[in-house]
Amino acid sequence: MKKRLLSITLTATMAAGLVACGSNSGSGTAATAAQEDSTTAAAKESQAESKEEASGEKKTLTITFKDDGQGENHPWYVWLRESYEAWDMKDQVELELAPITGSESDYYTKVALQLADANTCPDIVFEDTFQLPSDVSAGYLTNLDAYVADYEAWNNGTYYESLKAGSTAADGSVYGIPFCTDTRGIWYNKEIFKQAGLPEEWQPETWQDILDACAAIKEKVPEVIPFWCNSGVATGEATSMQTYEMLLYGTGEQLLDADGKWIVKSQAIIDTLQFISDIYTNGYGPSLSLVLNGQATNTARREYLPQQKLAIHMDGAWISANWIDTGAAPWPEYQEIMGFAAMPTQNGGGTVTMSGGWTLSIPEHSAMKDEAFSFIQQMMEPPAYTKSVIAQGNIVTRSDAAEDEEYLSQPYKAEGTALLDGAYFRPQNEQYSVVTTNIQTMVEAVASGSTPEDAMNQYAMDVTRIVGEDNIVEK
Amino acid sequence: MTKNQGYGFREEMRKSLLLIPAVLVLLFFFIIPIVLTIYYSFTNLALSGSNAKNLQFIGLENYKRMLTDPSTVISIENTLIFLAGSLAGQTILGFLIAYLMKQKAKGFRSVAGPCFLAGWVMPEIVVALCFMAFFKENGTLNVLTGFFGAKQVSWLYEHPMLSVVIANVWHGTAFSMLNFQSALDNVSGDMEEAARVDGANRFQVLLRIIIPSIKDTIATNVMLNTLSTLGVYGLIYAMTGGGPANKTTTLPIYMYNQGLKGMQLGFGTAIGMMILFVGTICSLIYARLLRTKEEG
Amino acid sequence: MNNAKVNHLHYIVLSFMALTFLLPLIWIVIASLDPNASDALKMPAQWTLGNYISVLGNMENIKAYGVGFVISFAESLIVVILSCLAAYPLSRYRLSYKKTFMNVILFMTALPMIAVIVPVYKMYLSLGLLDSIWGVIFYLSAASLPYGLWLMKNFMDAVPAELEEAAWVDGATTFKSMTSIVLPLMFPGICTVFIYTFSKSWGNFFVPYILLSSAEKMPASVQLYQFFGQYGLIDYGPLAAYSILYTLPSILLYILSQNYMSKGFNLSGAAKG
Repeated sequence: MKKRLLSITLTATMAAGLVACGSNSGSGTAATAAQEDSTTAAAKESQAESKEEASGEKKTLTITFKDDGQGENHPWYVWLRESYEAWDMKDQVELELAPITGSESDYYTKVALQLADANTCPDIVFEDTFQLPSDVSAGYLTNLDAYVADYEAWNNGTYYESLKAGSTAADGSVYGIPFCTDTRGIWYNKEIFKQAGLPEEWQPETWQDILDACAAIKEKVPEVIPFWCNSGVATGEATSMQTYEMLLYGTGEQLLDADGKWIVKSQAIIDTLQFISDIYTNGYGPSLSLVLNGQATNTARREYLPQQKLAIHMDGAWISANWIDTGAAPWPEYQEIMGFAAMPTQNGGGTVTMSGGWTLSIPEHSAMKDEAFSFIQQMMEPPAYTKSVIAQGNIVTRSDAAEDEEYLSQPYKAEGTALLDGAYFRPQNEQYSVVTTNIQTMVEAVASGSTPEDAMNQYAMDVTRIVGEDNIVEK
Repeated sequence: MTKNQGYGFREEMRKSLLLIPAVLVLLFFFIIPIVLTIYYSFTNLALSGSNAKNLQFIGLENYKRMLTDPSTVISIENTLIFLAGSLAGQTILGFLIAYLMKQKAKGFRSVAGPCFLAGWVMPEIVVALCFMAFFKENGTLNVLTGFFGAKQVSWLYEHPMLSVVIANVWHGTAFSMLNFQSALDNVSGDMEEAARVDGANRFQVLLRIIIPSIKDTIATNVMLNTLSTLGVYGLIYAMTGGGPANKTTTLPIYMYNQGLKGMQLGFGTAIGMMILFVGTICSLIYARLLRTKEEG
Repeated sequence: MNNAKVNHLHYIVLSFMALTFLLPLIWIVIASLDPNASDALKMPAQWTLGNYISVLGNMENIKAYGVGFVISFAESLIVVILSCLAAYPLSRYRLSYKKTFMNVILFMTALPMIAVIVPVYKMYLSLGLLDSIWGVIFYLSAASLPYGLWLMKNFMDAVPAELEEAAWVDGATTFKSMTSIVLPLMFPGICTVFIYTFSKSWGNFFVPYILLSSAEKMPASVQLYQFFGQYGLIDYGPLAAYSILYTLPSILLYILSQNYMSKGFNLSGAAKG
């Protein structure tokens, strides 16, 4: 049967090829036939569309979100399907899932392309909080003030105030409902640490401690990769946030200075890049072919960690969700083997983490804003909501969900959540979403051999172009 | 030219009717976008952020920034290296194969020919996949070099430009080969014969008789390859994404990274103008070549 | 030097080169038949057609294949029809603007159309042509039309006008003399233009990727591009199988038209040289 399908496709192809070549040979009939072929395809499509509209006048609510490659089993798919089943409007509204598959860095471009277009614009979009200010300034997102005014959970303190701030734009209005937040740290493999003669309960105090541990691992357990951090352009925001900013904010400096100017040259940037350079020049990092492609985050989380080929991994606290029974790479023993430590500041004396998160937003061009908001409320209802956050390994944004027993008993949840106190957020600056791509270029340049100085000079040039000379500062 | 201008005009319009559909399509989907490119390159057009809402004319700002940015220079350099490498590879290999294949046994030609053509008929995206696997650590190339005792090389990362050039040469050589084959078939055997009788060796015949008599084909072929190579985008994007860092960032990739990924559409179109500019220069040279040929 | 010896040497060099050209294909062929394929070159423990079956069993793949076909086919057809129509007056009539027109067309063949993707996106945005397969088709058609037109005019020039004059005497219309005399004679040229356009378009993933947004409208080329990163652990076997299936139309078109193609190249060579 399958084979027949193949042969049918092939014959059709061949026939079409012949038809094409014969189309102008005189009769003209072949050409019309071929043309009919393509028009029927188009006609069928429009028929399908009109049928949809005709059947009980059901409207379609379209949701755009990121598919990281896990497909239908990804917690977000499950969450959307379950919320829809429980939704009281499901008889009037059809749900259309419109995931965007692509590398991390392609998602935001594709979303912006869609949001700008009234015809292809979805009704709900999953927005990373760093992209939100930029899309708000562009006028792509609906001001939700009027909606949240009647949303009880929003006003009675159920949502954490600190997280509401993440979806509030510079104009003081709300543009999204935050559904998760997260923290970052260092994952390490206790078994490998043991073999390397390192403590199994590990909390590095300085950056140097990490490099020393890498050196020990490289010497004593040469077959594993000592250290992995996202380092490429293709891994997008993960490179900016999980690597560069985790380091930079540990120097005491930030992306912007106190006056809101972008710091484009400083010793802190050099130090940060030097750390990354040390990792790669000393051979502590993975090969560039592993770490510089769009699959790198998945490779580390779903292959190298579970297969115990990687000792230390700087990444999100949520990645353990990959290893649970229903995760992308089930790993029954992960709780005994993996440890999670906080990222130390450069020279000791404290820890640092970056915190991000996602919101549910309604595009300005959506024609079904009321239905969309109603569905968002449905999505945010525990227990389906809580379940989805557990499956993502993230931190909830509602205090009622935070009291859920199952949620609280998740491994590493306490450690991850504890970091939230004093966590840094990315700048609420509409230009961050562009600057971040230059951060990624800078990190990749250093990882692949540029000197920190050269990479920083390029970064300074790029950022100056984006934000203007009045908005930068050199330290 | 015609005496009766009115009649001539009407007559010419009537004769031009069949041109209209093509002209309309070119106007709407080719010329207007180019005009828009010129226009947008003077604006701050953006895909997101406040500039997306408020389009402003910013004069030569994009061009000024582009010309002072070292990335532009790097992208132009990369484009030229990619171009030179691809051209040299495709032309020399294409000619060599066509020359050697001449007057070989039919059976041999029908077996060897398709081997060279395989890369040409293959879609760009599949070429990219083949070469990604070919250059991987445990890929075909390393297995082969390992056989001779060489150490494993991560080609796509250590020699990224070489890798994409090789992939492009593989993809494009057959086009040159076909061009040269048909040109070589037209080289008169008599002159070769005469030269041989005069005691010239094969190499001298090649240099003094064959190459001069197909030099027009060589020129045309180089120009055609230049133009198609300038537009190569998907192959590089799929193989390296322009990286590592900016080592394979050619102008089209630079444009995508700045314009779409970086959401600076206006700046991206200024880079687009740069690509059009390079294309224009090539095309003027090309038109010049053809004209002199027609006149000669 | 001995002629026969040189000839032998040629055979050896050619065989070596031909084999070298096949090297990049080895992995894709083997991996497509390996149930446990990885990105490394290795002999499969067992051979299977399972990868092909799983690719063909997936309706989305079939659909994407169909969409890709519609796009490339419609584009090639548009280019062939428009350039045939336009080539006729350019080849047969004396037109005052002909020289300028052909120079402009020649100039246009040189412009890498990728450079205007952003304005095309903006234009489609205001015309409501985004996420429309026809939008993609027209953009691609316009991009390949100058080259198609240039080739087609040269092919038509090569058909002697005397043949038509007889038909004109018999009272045939322009259309009649075109369809019954000129086009059949330049059939190889038409095939060349069609195939050239088709194969260029068939591999293009970038234009549809930018101009389309619904997953179900994406052609196979985009799907293949996404396939690289579709699964956490890339499924190399089906990826290789899909790639091979995806290459088949190009190969078949080539084989079917080989005769026309080589003639076409002679013609275009003659026209150019």
